[in-house]
Amino acid sequence: MNETEIARALGTTEPQVNTDEALTRFRARVQSEGIAGVEPVAHRRITTRWLQGLAAAAGVVIVASALTVSGVAGSILQIFEPKSIVAIPVTQGDLNYLNQACSGLNLQDCMGAYGTFVWTTPPQPKEVQTRGQASAETGFAVQAPTTLPASVAGSPRYGVINRSSATFTFSADSTRQAAARQNRTAPPMPANIDGSKLFITGGPAVVQIWGAPSGATGATGAYPDIPTLVVGQAKAPTISSDGVTVTELQNYLLSQPGISPQLAAAIRAISDPSSTLPVPVPAELAISHPVTVQAVQGLFVGDNTGIASAVIWQKDGMMFEVIGSFTESQALSIANSMR
Amino acid sequence: MTLPAREGTEVPGGAGQVARAISPAFESLFRAEYARVVGIAHRVLADQAEAEDVAQDVFVSFYRAYPADAPFAPAWLHAAAAHAALNALRGRDRRTRREAAQAVPIDAPAVDDDPAHLVAASETRDEVRAVLARLPERSAAMLALRYAGLSYAEIAAALDIRASSVGTLLRRAEDAFRRELR
Repeated sequence: MNETEIARALGTTEPQVNTDEALTRFRARVQSEGIAGVEPVAHRRITTRWLQGLAAAAGVVIVASALTVSGVAGSILQIFEPKSIVAIPVTQGDLNYLNQACSGLNLQDCMGAYGTFVWTTPPQPKEVQTRGQASAETGFAVQAPTTLPASVAGSPRYGVINRSSATFTFSADSTRQAAARQNRTAPPMPANIDGSKLFITGGPAVVQIWGAPSGATGATGAYPDIPTLVVGQAKAPTISSDGVTVTELQNYLLSQPGISPQLAAAIRAISDPSSTLPVPVPAELAISHPVTVQAVQGLFVGDNTGIASAVIWQKDGMMFEVIGSFTESQALSIANSMR
Repeated sequence: MTLPAREGTEVPGGAGQVARAISPAFESLFRAEYARVVGIAHRVLADQAEAEDVAQDVFVSFYRAYPADAPFAPAWLHAAAAHAALNALRGRDRRTRREAAQAVPIDAPAVDDDPAHLVAASETRDEVRAVLARLPERSAAMLALRYAGLSYAEIAAALDIRASSVGTLLRRAEDAFRRELR
């Protein structure tokens, strides 16, 4: 049986459709069944992948917070709420370990290595069209830079993420199994940690993204979708614990196989863990130091090549970040112009 | 005085939702893709009325979930048409020969009143559809898309596979089809 014969076997008389009638039928059904459609967005440039990226970013922030901060999350019902920011150097070995443990930083898989992670209110990123809509969605005044370098052109896109919350329950069994999958032996989980819970909330958040200016991608054409400037603003995340002590949780998490002595030491050195947000910074790739921004202490992070930089700060219960391909002074100028 | 609903105005929905008049973008998408979606479903079902029912369901599913200007819209519709038609094929009861006889070979004469020919065609159609229903989902979908006239690139987009793999996978699907058809 050749292709022609298959075509004949599968052959049917070609349907003669009446598209107008079909459209009328469709309209009638949509109206009679009250079916709401998704409105097309004019000038849509945000792709599904970008929105997924937002969700992933939110997830990674929560994971990073949970993994590094939960160890110092506090005693019974003590709430973690960052009031300052500190860079935590993360080695390639730490990243390798996290990548193995987390199956590529998929949130459920990652947290599943230590227990049960359940979204009580999952993050649902979406695009809005204006800064005003972003403010209305998040319930806070969205700030925007009033000074931009010449390399940043055009109007930003706005993405918002709702206030999200999750519960994480430690499980000795899950941890043993995760360690076994990596041919490691996990230290025994203290009985009072096994089954204890962390309550994690994050957001709402707004991300403003400026794309590459027109014609600017012609140099290489390789990364036309890489934004020139990303500005993030979010209600500070909070983490509470239902009953393990700071020392117990910290000691246990930092004794996990694969956590480098440098990372453990840096986290232990945080003087006020209940109000300090550790920002993981790849030790081999980036530099960081404290800076003054908007009259508060923030953190500058830049890669060793000077290609990318970020300024992160916390003020009045809000977290801010400015990320782009800028010099430190440019990044600070943008950050200080936020109104 | 109550004015009738107009384009762009909200229309109360029966399920407590609000249905809006469909957007020009969606209408354009519908007009551009409807015949092809029906064609894919028809290739599987050999029944135009059933194929048009499947096409309506496919467009409703898309309308509920995605904006009309989504770049993946055609590929999504093509894939959904194939899968929905295969589901309908597997789910439907054994049809009468009269229904199957509505389908005739594409190279057959337009009119053939010979009852013996109609019965033979009917039996072949039944068997071919039964084979499609038994094939693995991706193989059956691939055959439906290809023999509905989609290009390799369109098949790759619809089934989320590399275009360079379409030829190989299509040959495997055709081999499986031949074996099942005896």
